[in-house]
Amino acid sequence: MKTISISHLARVEGAGGVTATIDGQVVTDVKFIINEGPRLFERLTIGKTPEEDLNIVPRICAICTLSHRFAALRALEKALAIKEPAKVSLLRELMHLGEMIESHSLHVYLLALPDYLGYPNAIAMASKYGFEAKVGLEMKQFGNHIMKTLSGRFVHGENPVLGAFGRYPTRDELVFIKNRAVQFLPFALRTVQLMCELPYPEIPESDTLFICCHPANGQFGFMGDKVILSNGELIDAQEYKKVTNEFIVSHSYCKRSQYDGKPYSVGALARINNLGERLEGEAGRAFKKYYNARWKRNPLFNNAAQALEILYSFERIPQVIEEALNMPDPEPVAWGRDTGKGVGAVEAPRGLLFHAYDISAGRIAHTDIVTPTAQNAEDIERYCFIAAQTLLKKGEEDKIKDRMDLVIRAFDPCISCSAHMVQVKQAPNGDWKNRLKELASGGDVVFVGLGREDRSDDAAGLELARLLRERGSKDVWLAEELSGDSAPTDGARPLVFLDAVDFGEKPGKICLLPMRYVLWNSSLSHRLAALTGLPLDSKRLLEAHLLGIQPASIAQGDPISAEVREALNGVLEILGN
Amino acid sequence: MKKDKLKIGIYELTGCAGDALLILDCEDEIINIFHAADIQSFLMAKSDNIDGALDVALVEGSVSTEKDLKELLDIRKRAKVLVAIGLCASVGGNQAAFLNPREWEENLKKVYGRTEMTHTKPLHSKPLNAYVKVDYYLPGCPIDREQFLSTLTRLLDGHPPELHRFPVCVECKWRENDCLLNRGILCLGPLTAAGCRAVCPSHNLPCVGCWGPAEEANHTAEYQLLLDKGFDREMILRKMSTFSGTGIADFAARIRGEKK
Repeated sequence: MKTISISHLARVEGAGGVTATIDGQVVTDVKFIINEGPRLFERLTIGKTPEEDLNIVPRICAICTLSHRFAALRALEKALAIKEPAKVSLLRELMHLGEMIESHSLHVYLLALPDYLGYPNAIAMASKYGFEAKVGLEMKQFGNHIMKTLSGRFVHGENPVLGAFGRYPTRDELVFIKNRAVQFLPFALRTVQLMCELPYPEIPESDTLFICCHPANGQFGFMGDKVILSNGELIDAQEYKKVTNEFIVSHSYCKRSQYDGKPYSVGALARINNLGERLEGEAGRAFKKYYNARWKRNPLFNNAAQALEILYSFERIPQVIEEALNMPDPEPVAWGRDTGKGVGAVEAPRGLLFHAYDISAGRIAHTDIVTPTAQNAEDIERYCFIAAQTLLKKGEEDKIKDRMDLVIRAFDPCISCSAHMVQVKQAPNGDWKNRLKELASGGDVVFVGLGREDRSDDAAGLELARLLRERGSKDVWLAEELSGDSAPTDGARPLVFLDAVDFGEKPGKICLLPMRYVLWNSSLSHRLAALTGLPLDSKRLLEAHLLGIQPASIAQGDPISAEVREALNGVLEILGN
Repeated sequence: MKKDKLKIGIYELTGCAGDALLILDCEDEIINIFHAADIQSFLMAKSDNIDGALDVALVEGSVSTEKDLKELLDIRKRAKVLVAIGLCASVGGNQAAFLNPREWEENLKKVYGRTEMTHTKPLHSKPLNAYVKVDYYLPGCPIDREQFLSTLTRLLDGHPPELHRFPVCVECKWRENDCLLNRGILCLGPLTAAGCRAVCPSHNLPCVGCWGPAEEANHTAEYQLLLDKGFDREMILRKMSTFSGTGIADFAARIRGEKK
């Protein structure tokens, strides 16, 4: 067994990595690891005033600082019944567009493009692609300029406050930004052409669910009181827990999210997939020209989606400023109440961000913050698995490390808000034995034997179940015995399916895999057909494991082969004691 | 004779990556920095990083896991000069606001429940000097680009950096702002290290202390002054300790220990 490890993911913001473990022809483990320590922001805000909360929470992440501030403002204002004046809404949109341009151009030109062009960093890339590196830097600088003008600083500016701004930008400052935005349009168009015409690799490709904010005005945009799923569902932001369903994994301080028991993606690609039809002007024309079905399956297109959003942002800025210029600076708005609950949803550059607060008598009583990278973590793991397994199957093991690196970086993880590292390692011989023992140590294992009788080794799972029973194991089931009334119900106990699986290995080779990898692996997922009729909920199924035995033959009428027979005895030995 | 370029490493422990990002934000100068110094390691900017002997290590973030600690000890061993960059590295920052280890542990459990972490053990967040000798401190949340560039330039020329020892108030006076304390607004300017050019007071907003304590800060006098102005004791302590982490630990412990 072997491990491919990217222990320090370079060119992402923050510290983290991914480790893939390979056992022969099978990827048995992929972990997206966040090395950031716990910072406990949700607890740091307890007992603080809403204003103090606004000082603290933007510090969760330097690059999404204004998105955090924006989400917190929306949530706190909802809780305190503050309606911000129209000019404040427009200026907030402007600062948010600045952050989008800053973050996207940094990511597209300085962090992602060197990968596609084959350079270790943007400085090295600049020797041949000087124009691209320069344009990238200038756009980013302009984004920073907008953020600084509106927020007071490049990073962690305090100027946007409840219902207002501490200082409003002057007419000259706004006109300067508007004129510069117009001058940037040709470069934004060039960015779209460059990023949309890159030959994105076909691995990994797989369908997923995309989730983003749903702007109520029918236009493209980066916030909303509802979120939209790519299956068409709309969910109120106040009910964000229906979307995020957070849970904790032991290998990361970043919490995870799943919707309906499955990983989902947030970010620029989610927004373009869900709302791209709404784009107008040059961005709308570029969307029609470049958008195709692969954008829904391949996470690498996130870089193309970011380029479209850069173009959108440059087109939107003059409109926002035009409108704001006609409005006088508003008077401060008073709190409507000092006790209440509120959820604020905005699109950070790397995806959907929720802030939720309970305020009691002017003090924060409860805080919940769900960051985009936390929501993407499961899908990052899934796409890394698919990339590793597909390349392994094609005999291109040497490409796994770089491809996983590319996938992770495409998600634009902002790892401080929750990574630096890709590692590929070979599992030690007989790794499954240790892992099976480990599972068995978590409680009495429930075994379910699958397969077909009279089909030689395809009956291995059934035979193993029978042998376990003979040896006195209690909770052993044959697939045919499971029905609505009779099924293993105790969800806390480990569940292991036993089956013959063609991994392309030597007969008798055993692999223990998390069931979700079986689901994600197109060459193995037909095994799941046998499971669809079983009375088990999807969560229980995803948490289960598959003990697969490589068959020598599945010919009708043959007995179980000597190799597989020996393998079965090996399993009994492990479990016997 | 051509002098060898100084070998520099930029590292991020647990934090918001804001200081490393701010170095990337020096758009006009970053190419010059890469030319003037030999950047051995800078994860946010490059993938061909080397972990060897260093002339200067710039470290951001606070020590919040065993892995952070191991990395810091290794960096200290390799670097002739170690500079703490940013608030978290200098005084611990937001995440070090739980001054009492037991309070930190209880809150950790509230966020992560009883899940056993397999990859690295969490530690109660502390600044770099809790574990290693720090040669210079570059304050800020995040650091200021001019101060960073002048510090780096002086280090490249073999001189110690020159940083402000005075509080935000001095910069605020330079900008001829109205004093917010005189308007009855709780401003932490008198206690907070200068270098931000009094940005918040210049936006009609009180200083929240995000650069950490100024070298000359007199916490006791300021505390008394704020009490005299009628501010609530708990509110004063809460505001003082939001950003200052261990920089305020002794003071806060003393005040809290005193009878009301």
